Amino acid sequence: MAVSANLLAAPVAAPLLIAALILLLARWGGRRLIRHQIALTALALCFNFAVALLIFQATAGQGERLVLQMGAWSAPYGITVYGDGLSATLLLLTALVALAVYPFAVATIDYHRARMGFHPLYLFLLMGVNGAFLSGDLFNLYVFFEVLLMASFVLLTIGAQPAQTNSGIRYVVLNLLASTVFLVAAGIAYGTLGTLNMAQIAERLPLASPAVRTLFAGLLLVGFGSKAAIFPLFFWLPASYHTPPPAVTALFGGLLTKVGVYTLFRSFTLFFPELLISWQPTLLTIAGATMLVGALGALAQPGIRRVLSFHIISHVGFMLMGLAVALSGNKLAIGFGLGAAVLYLCHHMIIKTALIMAGGAVELHMGSDRLASIGGLVTRHPFLAFLFFMAAISLAGVPPFSGFVSKLSLLQITLDTRHWLVSGVSIFASLLTMLNMMRLWRESFWGDYKRPSRVPTRILQSSLRQRLMLTPIAVLVLLSLGLGILGGPAFRLSMRVAQQALDRQAYIDAVSPAATFSTKPPSHFVPTTATVPTFLTENAADLARSPFVPSP
Amino acid sequence: MPELYLRLLNRILTPVLLLLAIYLLLRGHNLPGGGFIAGLMAAAAFQLQILSRGHDRVRSAIGPYLNSGIGLGLAVAICAGVVGLFEGTFFKGLWFKLNLPLLGYLELGTPVIFDLGVFLVVVSVATSFLLGLSRVSESAVIIGEGSVSPDLTDDPAFDPMETAGETSREVES
Repeated sequence: MAVSANLLAAPVAAPLLIAALILLLARWGGRRLIRHQIALTALALCFNFAVALLIFQATAGQGERLVLQMGAWSAPYGITVYGDGLSATLLLLTALVALAVYPFAVATIDYHRARMGFHPLYLFLLMGVNGAFLSGDLFNLYVFFEVLLMASFVLLTIGAQPAQTNSGIRYVVLNLLASTVFLVAAGIAYGTLGTLNMAQIAERLPLASPAVRTLFAGLLLVGFGSKAAIFPLFFWLPASYHTPPPAVTALFGGLLTKVGVYTLFRSFTLFFPELLISWQPTLLTIAGATMLVGALGALAQPGIRRVLSFHIISHVGFMLMGLAVALSGNKLAIGFGLGAAVLYLCHHMIIKTALIMAGGAVELHMGSDRLASIGGLVTRHPFLAFLFFMAAISLAGVPPFSGFVSKLSLLQITLDTRHWLVSGVSIFASLLTMLNMMRLWRESFWGDYKRPSRVPTRILQSSLRQRLMLTPIAVLVLLSLGLGILGGPAFRLSMRVAQQALDRQAYIDAVSPAATFSTKPPSHFVPTTATVPTFLTENAADLARSPFVPSP
Repeated sequence: MPELYLRLLNRILTPVLLLLAIYLLLRGHNLPGGGFIAGLMAAAAFQLQILSRGHDRVRSAIGPYLNSGIGLGLAVAICAGVVGLFEGTFFKGLWFKLNLPLLGYLELGTPVIFDLGVFLVVVSVATSFLLGLSRVSESAVIIGEGSVSPDLTDDPAFDPMETAGETSREVES
């Protein structure tokens, strides 16, 4: 079935339109009106999921590339919206996470926060994340980063507890710094290459001087890397994720860092694939340090959500490791590393959301998430204990679940490319993850029943709320199990996604930016330089075999 | 009671500002202007009202419509994009020409509707910021003098514990 490229506008326009309708129709206040907001938001989430499925089927399933030139203005002048397998995978997972967290949010968000506009903000965040995945030029990427930053900032601080405000300030300051670095990179791109369209940047970047390329790549690595919470730039994440309501943490943990990871994947595969080889030691060092610091940091944390938020950092390291070996010469396949990283991303988004929701359920039952003061919940809530355990071992990488397949494939590629040290670090980090997960489970479910809070919670009394909280966790755990059992087909699909993302010439052709009308090229343009990127000559033996590298 | 000159200026300037806003909104497609600037201009008119009449009167007059204004503006802007689907592409501009008796030749299209949406969003957001800022500045002055502003405690969204603590800390520092 052919899918119109106009479908790409829907994941951005639909949440925005529904959020606007909520703002238009709902005067704040009145529990009945909150119910209307919930119905509208659920409608938008379901629609978004359906659209994401259609886009995924067309791009990742059939290998199409959807390009929407807004208002039919051609590429460098108009706004390009681009969807390929990588974007569509993330769109689908985002829609899934948003849809799964929403019942949990409805069950646990208090009336005060709902009245202050929780539901439209949820949709604004979804719109920002979707837009970042679909954006075809750097400036719109920046705009959507800001949209999701603002929406997440308000979601983080809504309710105005002192701890929330404190963490919100740190979150917004560090993220704005990262955005500024990214904006400087975009400015450099515009100043030297004369364009912000990503296809055109990819086309012209090999002609730019090496200094410009290095600076551009470095700034993008810093900007996107701090959004993704890689090693020296992750401080905003553990500072902020434990303060908002658990539903908000689950949403953030599922979505926010993944935008950074996606942009890293996209920029390294599209703009400077040659740096995946020349910068490989740096990237692998960062990846190893991120894994190790995340896992070790989690070991020292006293509360469930703090442990889980450090594990997000650790897992971003795994994805970065997959990206770093994406183009290495190996006997498996070119792009194997990126395929493994994409599979890991799917696994991570599904199971991390489930685990944070399960941890949030524990916290809401106990009134606290400090491991030292809670315990024994298994006697009261055996099903929650079961789900938490399953999600925890999936995160750690135990066989029938998706964690095993994704970690195994990543390990396979790093061992195959003889990066012994980083492979060892990743195994060590996985063992630490296992240790941490068992610690979480033992402290919160095993032992004598201890409940520090005397305040009875609404959640404990309503069976509907219980079901709304537990069903999405169960669905996500089942999905993780399915992804693990169907590991082969899932991996083939993610390999296809990775190879599509690595085929940069096809990206440029699909967007087909019109030739610039400027007759005078910028002074540093050296027409005699060969247009073949240097990485083609370095690993020519490996790359010559691959079907997706353009023949020089 | 505000100064005499403010009340006089208010009467003269508010209609001028609003008319200028509409003018900027309509000429904005091909000339400098547009929804954003027109929205700021209209918000300036509301700020003049706040200064001359006091923020509580302005809030009671337009406050309840601000959220709806944001929603309406966003919805109008998106719908202007959706209309483009009839010509094949999202956000494709559709134009139609009018020959009106008084205004003369007019060229209207979906970009104007989009600008109208932007105008509504900017006016509503900027005015609600201005109203919020005027409330904060007034409460800071009053708490510094040792009493609590009556209109603050009337507001259902106002939590006396939080704001009082914050503002008094600000005043001390």
